Amino acid sequence: MAERSTGGARLLVVVYAIFAIAATARSAVQLFTRFDEAPVAYLLSALAAVVYIIATVALSRADRTSRRVATAALVFELSGVLVVGTASLLFPDAFPRATVWSTYGSGYLFIPLALPIIGLWWLRRTSPKA
Amino acid sequence: MTGLFATITMVVSLAMAAWALVHLVLNRPMSRALHSSQLVIAALFIVLAIGGIVQMIGSDQDFARAEFVGYLVLSPVIPIGSWWWTRGDRTRIGSAIIVVVGLVMPVLVARIQQVWSGGG
Repeated sequence: MAERSTGGARLLVVVYAIFAIAATARSAVQLFTRFDEAPVAYLLSALAAVVYIIATVALSRADRTSRRVATAALVFELSGVLVVGTASLLFPDAFPRATVWSTYGSGYLFIPLALPIIGLWWLRRTSPKA
Repeated sequence: MTGLFATITMVVSLAMAAWALVHLVLNRPMSRALHSSQLVIAALFIVLAIGGIVQMIGSDQDFARAEFVGYLVLSPVIPIGSWWWTRGDRTRIGSAIIVVVGLVMPVLVARIQQVWSGGG
């Protein structure tokens, strides 16, 4: 296993891990028990959950490749929350069931919007090149 | 599920968060006792999970059972994980992590109770 990350990233990893656990559990239940109700919303939630897991693992490791993977996952998340957030406001009918990214994550205290921004800022600030 | 024990889990979690916050604010290195308190929280949530599942089996109430069990089983994972993650970490970040976990656990209990009473 790679060296554990240090400093503020350790806190970020915990918040990400909690989100990853919650999102994965929730979407697993949704997919297995009532997929037909809102397939798009539930598949999006599952995708978001997978990205949270990837981001958690990548942030928890300190090497270069992990940083690249983390950056990619975080950019994807930020795009997801912005696109799905906007779409859920413009076309509410397309999202009969809320996803973690609906209305910019307002159901989760906007944490889904804040997390990738904080994460990307941290990755940039601690970049070995800077 | 809305009984005294659930309230105790919330109060103890918040107490741990407050204790860790004192360490964080005063910039005191994390003590062994504070670190171990995460395992106490984990134990409380394991008991809560067992109690909740037993209570569910004995009830014919209509609610989202899969969600309920999912939350109960996964909730002890958080303090156990953070205990593992903060081992050997005596810095402020370690204390900050315990503050976050202590605040998240009562929210989880509230959510579990919401599912129990039939809400989404």
